[in-house]
Amino acid sequence: MDFFTIAIWVGTVVFLLVSFIKNKEKTKKALKMAFNMGKGMAKSIFAIIFAIGLILTFLPPEQIAEFVSNQPALIATVASALLGTITLVPAFIAFPLVGTLVNAGVGIMPSVAFLTTLTMVGVVTFPLEKEKFGLKFAAIRNGFSFLFAIIIAVVMGVFI
Amino acid sequence: MKVLKKIKENLFFVLVILAYIVVTLINPSMGLDSVKNSGYYIKEMLLIMPVIFILTALLDLWIPKDKIMKYLGKDAGLKGTFLAFVIGSISAGPIYAAFPMCVMLRKKGASTRNIVVILSSWAVIKVPMLLNEVKFLGLKFMIVRWILTVLAIILFSWLTDKMIKDKDYPEEIAKSSELTIDKKACMGCNVCVEQYPELFEMEGNKAIVKEHDENMLDMEKLKTTIEACPVKAIEYKK
Repeated sequence: MDFFTIAIWVGTVVFLLVSFIKNKEKTKKALKMAFNMGKGMAKSIFAIIFAIGLILTFLPPEQIAEFVSNQPALIATVASALLGTITLVPAFIAFPLVGTLVNAGVGIMPSVAFLTTLTMVGVVTFPLEKEKFGLKFAAIRNGFSFLFAIIIAVVMGVFI
Repeated sequence: MKVLKKIKENLFFVLVILAYIVVTLINPSMGLDSVKNSGYYIKEMLLIMPVIFILTALLDLWIPKDKIMKYLGKDAGLKGTFLAFVIGSISAGPIYAAFPMCVMLRKKGASTRNIVVILSSWAVIKVPMLLNEVKFLGLKFMIVRWILTVLAIILFSWLTDKMIKDKDYPEEIAKSSELTIDKKACMGCNVCVEQYPELFEMEGNKAIVKEHDENMLDMEKLKTTIEACPVKAIEYKK
């Protein structure tokens, strides 16, 4: 567990205790609300998680890296942005992987595009985002994130 | 028909299950690998989701609507955007962990712009991630990418705000901001507090709406209160 996760746990436990001392009824209501929220989202979250597991089996990140490294820069950038949207890997895997990409001579652009869409755009999280915020919101936010991932990648390619 | 409706409601869930069945039938070891791959994500989820749900519920009950509006609402300006960046960056967990929190904030009056900032920065600019990035890609890489990403988020959150209207949100989010007090008009006469003390209270020299359950409102009482307000600052939309 990283520091921030621990901090959030500690902060929430303290908040919960203060809340309980101040108002028992309200705190009970909060816990009930939290439980219902969890129940409501559980199915979607498990669907997301198992979809990621499946995608990782068919498109292992290492294979993506290998594929991308054999393409010309522009195609590699768009391809890695697209591949980044369908996979969702944790940071501690993503950074070493992208580090390997850069060191292997893939170039900054595809690496950055991959890194940004990996985390910000999600095909697997899209159904849940749509349910919670509406189709238009989810489409616009993911669309812009994808577009700007490529813009950021190109600018970085020029800068570094 | 009922079954069809259920399937439609849980389409993604059903599709994932079907995919697993098909894959396992064709190649059992691949199905097993996929389940194993999911293991890490289940752990990640269990570490963060329970606490996010509890925190969201606590904030929902303890932070009044007008506070959220003031700090993250339409008129919060630069400070609101800054706060949204801070919330997103110090958070933990994958992007879907931000969804319940953002739904709650949106319900309480946070602007679309700030919601987009929280969601996006929650995804890409986590502080522990930055250290990881320096380790594997170097300081210069991290700083340039960080600056560009922040600029991009500022720009597209503003664009998204222009494009999304309140009616584009699902009912769950849209319906909750029904009762508002126009702060500029309110002159702090205390009439609403006297009429309906369970719902209104004074904060400084302005009236505010108390935390309440929308379904428990006494409509008659609310109507008289709205009419009693001398400057017609109370608005109720159904």
